[in-house]
Amino acid sequence: MTEDQILAEISKAITQIMSDKGLPAPTVTADTELLGGELPIDSLDLAMLVREMEERVGFDPFQDGFIDFRTAGEMAKLYVK
Amino acid sequence: MNERGLALHVNAGAALVARGTDRLSRSDVHTRVNELAASFNARGVTRAMVVSDDPIDILRAIGAADATGADLFIAHTNLPTATIDEIAAQYGVQARIGETDTFIAVEAPAPSQRIYMMTSGTTGKPKIATHTLDALMSRARSSAKFSQTESKWLLTYQPTGFAGLQVQLTAVATHGVIVAPEQRTPGGFYAAARDNAVTQISGTPTFWRSFMMVARPEELALKQITLGGEAADQSTLDRLKAAFPAARITHMYASTEAGVVFAVHDGREGFPKAWLDTPPQGVALRIVDDLLQIKSANLMGGYLDQESQPLLNDGWLSTADRCEIVDDRVRILGRQDSTINVGGSKVYPLMVETFLLKQHGVLEARVFGVPNPVAGALVGAEIVFAPDQDHAEARARVLAACREGLASYQVPRVVKIVDQISVRESGKKGAS
Repeated sequence: MTEDQILAEISKAITQIMSDKGLPAPTVTADTELLGGELPIDSLDLAMLVREMEERVGFDPFQDGFIDFRTAGEMAKLYVK
Repeated sequence: MNERGLALHVNAGAALVARGTDRLSRSDVHTRVNELAASFNARGVTRAMVVSDDPIDILRAIGAADATGADLFIAHTNLPTATIDEIAAQYGVQARIGETDTFIAVEAPAPSQRIYMMTSGTTGKPKIATHTLDALMSRARSSAKFSQTESKWLLTYQPTGFAGLQVQLTAVATHGVIVAPEQRTPGGFYAAARDNAVTQISGTPTFWRSFMMVARPEELALKQITLGGEAADQSTLDRLKAAFPAARITHMYASTEAGVVFAVHDGREGFPKAWLDTPPQGVALRIVDDLLQIKSANLMGGYLDQESQPLLNDGWLSTADRCEIVDDRVRILGRQDSTINVGGSKVYPLMVETFLLKQHGVLEARVFGVPNPVAGALVGAEIVFAPDQDHAEARARVLAACREGLASYQVPRVVKIVDQISVRESGKKGAS
């Protein structure tokens, strides 16, 4: 998958998590800070997002420990092989 | 320090609680304690319950119970409201402290000056641990020995749980400040820490991993970083060290029954093997059948319910934490039982399975842990629906019921709808 496709998957996964919580679909761009307060995401939602992305992309970039990222764009880069 | 109770009259002008734009001094909180104690006395209250996430409510309830000799239940706000109401009715609670205080005219037993705290139990019923304020405060003072005084603590834990209460009492005992975030999200925690110049943060490794995603380390002047609630891994310890080189980094192992068992300051995961021979903090440690066992002179008062009492063998208490020894170090590998540790909170699969099975249209359910790089583990569930159920509708309805009736960490996050639950030859539901 390209970075843009991965970003689209991240956006879809976040929309799913929000909709499970009964919240409207957010707008996610490469610059959206995932935990910065723009989105109502807590650490367990983030945990779910990481799990969901592993299923969608087919691998887990955090196998050897967690890697820092702030924005959706930075997260997308982690899934580009 | 030779003080008893909260001793809020000592250093009365100093700040004690910061929440949003609210600033309360020790003396402000003391005034509220006295007001509440007066209304306990006027109404003859001997059993009270605090139901609030606000440290001011929790502290005034503790202070008033202490001043009047009343028993105090601290309702864990993770629990469903119905469960809290049941406990209040069962134990004859006469006063409910929170945003508004309400009084109920019921007969209560004679007070025993105890503090009762709740943890989620293996089934739907929470375990209720009994403590005394003196024992809790002496623990807070002894933990303060390895931290600085006049510090500002970020309240990252749920304020009504054991770790959260410990942070509040430590701030009271050391004349520090409790900084409560307005929003319990990583962004809310960071804003509160930055705006109040917090110096001490104690949180789970899961908290730290998400906090590091929003924090600008140069905006914070942390002196003490503490990790607890789940085993701290080397990569999280290394990242904290790199981001906050001036802070002392401590990871702790604590249990509800024995309090802080050990605290490690050397920045390496696990603890030194030498501690099995010479315990560092008054709690003896040994490993039997790969499980960590502890022995402390300072065990808590026990549980209200006999069935909850932990297994004791020659005064040793067995944890369910599996360990391995590698060279000079003992590492904690994880739970031996089926308990799932979600970001530092224990989840009992049976309890969640029971909850799922109560939902309309659910025929079978299996709950298990799914390893996760952020939270350590998430709750996974396989659900079998009755043939007449629309899967999408039923899934949404059951998950909504979970969010309503379970604590956030107990809600299944990885859900599969299946035709049948995998059953092993032993007859037990499939491996976790």
